[in-house]
Amino acid sequence: MTVTTDTVVATSSRRRRRPVSHMVPWLFISPWIIGFVAFTLGPMLFSLYMSFFDWPIVGERTFIGLDNYVTMTTLDPQFWESLWITVKFALLFVPLNIAVGFLLALLLNAGLKGTGVLRTLFYLPSVISGVALVTIFSWLYSYRFGVLNYLLGFVGIDGPNWLGDPSWALVAIVFASLWGVGSTMLILLAGLQAIPRELYEAARISGVPAWARTLYITLPMLGPMLLFSIITSIISAFQQLTLALLLTEGGPLGSTYFFAMYIYDNAFKYFDMGYAAAMSWIMFGIVLLLSLAVMKSSSAWVHYEGEVRGKKGDKS
Amino acid sequence: MTKYASTALSVALAGLLPAALAAQEEGTLRLATWDDEESLEIIESIAAAFEAAHPGTDVQIEAYGDGYDTKLSAAMGAGNAPDVMYMWNFPAYAASLMPLNDFIERDGAEMDIDDISPALLDVSRIDGNVYGMPAGFTTHVIFYNRDLLEEAGVAEPEAGWTWSDLREKAAAASDPENQVYGFAVDARPDPYDFEQFYWSNGTQFISDDGTEIDGYMNSPEGAEVLNMFADMIASGEAVALNIGDDVSGSALFRGGNLAMFEGAMWNKGGIDESGIDYGIVGLPAFEGKPVKSAINSSAVSISADTDNPELAWDFVKFFSSPEAVAMRVNDLPVRASVAAETGQADDPMLAPFFEMLEVSEGTSPAFLKHEDWARMQENLSAAIEATMIEGGNAQAHLDDAVRRSARFLR
Repeated sequence: MTVTTDTVVATSSRRRRRPVSHMVPWLFISPWIIGFVAFTLGPMLFSLYMSFFDWPIVGERTFIGLDNYVTMTTLDPQFWESLWITVKFALLFVPLNIAVGFLLALLLNAGLKGTGVLRTLFYLPSVISGVALVTIFSWLYSYRFGVLNYLLGFVGIDGPNWLGDPSWALVAIVFASLWGVGSTMLILLAGLQAIPRELYEAARISGVPAWARTLYITLPMLGPMLLFSIITSIISAFQQLTLALLLTEGGPLGSTYFFAMYIYDNAFKYFDMGYAAAMSWIMFGIVLLLSLAVMKSSSAWVHYEGEVRGKKGDKS
Repeated sequence: MTKYASTALSVALAGLLPAALAAQEEGTLRLATWDDEESLEIIESIAAAFEAAHPGTDVQIEAYGDGYDTKLSAAMGAGNAPDVMYMWNFPAYAASLMPLNDFIERDGAEMDIDDISPALLDVSRIDGNVYGMPAGFTTHVIFYNRDLLEEAGVAEPEAGWTWSDLREKAAAASDPENQVYGFAVDARPDPYDFEQFYWSNGTQFISDDGTEIDGYMNSPEGAEVLNMFADMIASGEAVALNIGDDVSGSALFRGGNLAMFEGAMWNKGGIDESGIDYGIVGLPAFEGKPVKSAINSSAVSISADTDNPELAWDFVKFFSSPEAVAMRVNDLPVRASVAAETGQADDPMLAPFFEMLEVSEGTSPAFLKHEDWARMQENLSAAIEATMIEGGNAQAHLDDAVRRSARFLR
């Protein structure tokens, strides 16, 4: 009954319906907006406020202005060390994650037999939770009893103490992080499958070799997907915490003491919420700047289908 | 408000919220604990005994388990702290705890406070204020595997032994080919426990007044301790723990792979279950110096915000009474009288724990002396780990730790 009435009202009076129609989209996305404000934007702004305080969980908080920011950059060597470790991790992880994801996607896109099974196998590790992953890798990497060193023994390599040697631990964490490459692979695979076949056929007819087809057709056409993958990889590299916290506990000799772990320790080990909040904002700033830089540079290397470049390009 | 009105209001409230009102009148205490399983059952029976002795009271036990610190700090942050709580990290929580000095002064004689070791009260004292009454404790001892020492042809250790005795026995018992080790050195020890070796070698992490670490943390005696352990690893007398894998010393000992192992009461249950034929002896001394042990105690504290301090104090008093202490069979009794009555003080498998408690009186752990100790100790941990990995060079690593900690002492 109500439905009929509504329809009648709606069709008979367009003018009265208009304000409602403006509201409707907002109403539809309001659950997201409310959630975003309550659980993301609100806490973020609150943490910015906290970062100007000496804010212990227990006891009185004191306003100290920019002291937290000044202390960390001038007096706290651990701040710079853990930042440098995180940057090193990102420099290793981001290119490897993209390269491995791309190679796996190419493999799956080659139309080989059993592609469906392989696709599942490659993606499966990504759904394993962080803690289970840590348990698996602590056994793989174990110096005396680990599978990895056992296998290396067959080819005559005396494997290093992966998690116990300061010069190997970060590398070990990079490899362990690549376990989650499945999601990057999936995005790139979707991109590969969207590239029109005609482009390859035309190239093949003109006698372009396979490597050149990959370089001049596949890579440019994948631009938007690569851009997305690089930015999300950078963000996840800077947020890396689980592996450091559980696999190496930041060691040995602090060689895997990531920035995120130092934030965690400040907040939940030293109960210094203000300092931890200030560090989080530094991390937010760095990630924001890097993402902007990548976005900015992307106009030079990312090509969108149907995109028309600046006016100069129109002449040709 | 007239008497009539207040009575009427009480009646009305009693009708509306009988449970809440009754609770207030009869006195409800919230008790937070990190205990679980058997330990939790013990607490529950102590609480039940308290309720029986104090009709009209209700003790609500909140078992926070593993997330104890997170949940407790969240409860305090939200202004909803439990009235009585288990406590060990006094510096972090002191601001929210009630000093017990006045209570102790008033009721000390009645509760026979001299029966409780002063060393245990020291652990909960900051700036002269006592923030918790000890409930249970452990000290550190050496567990030794009788069969492995016999096979090696060395005598079992005896009280009053030294580190050179231990090293000799460890060297004789070590057989890395067959995965048997004389001793185990933890490269990432808990600094709180590790300070016992500093004390035993005549030094400490931080000065008594908590203002100086230069000449303490990096004293020659301290460096000597670190270098000795590093040397034990390098010489093969000891296996290094926590460098790249998670194998624990107690697991090696339970598996019969370790001749001697430094541990505490919390290791004993598992070792008993393993069926290893073992003995216990106090920690070895450094030549010519008195030996000391770290004391790990759990205490009960009262929230500074409690609505019912007298009732809370009654409970804390009961918790450290001979009756309740005797009920706690999961750790060691804090009262000498209980230890004597139950025969624990004479049991050769427990006596070393009490002996170590006696000799450790007068020590004050570093974390009670400086509010930022938790941060400074990270640098110390790094120095210990670096020394163990590098096989020595302790002085340079400790100097570095002191330099990096300087900002907390300004």
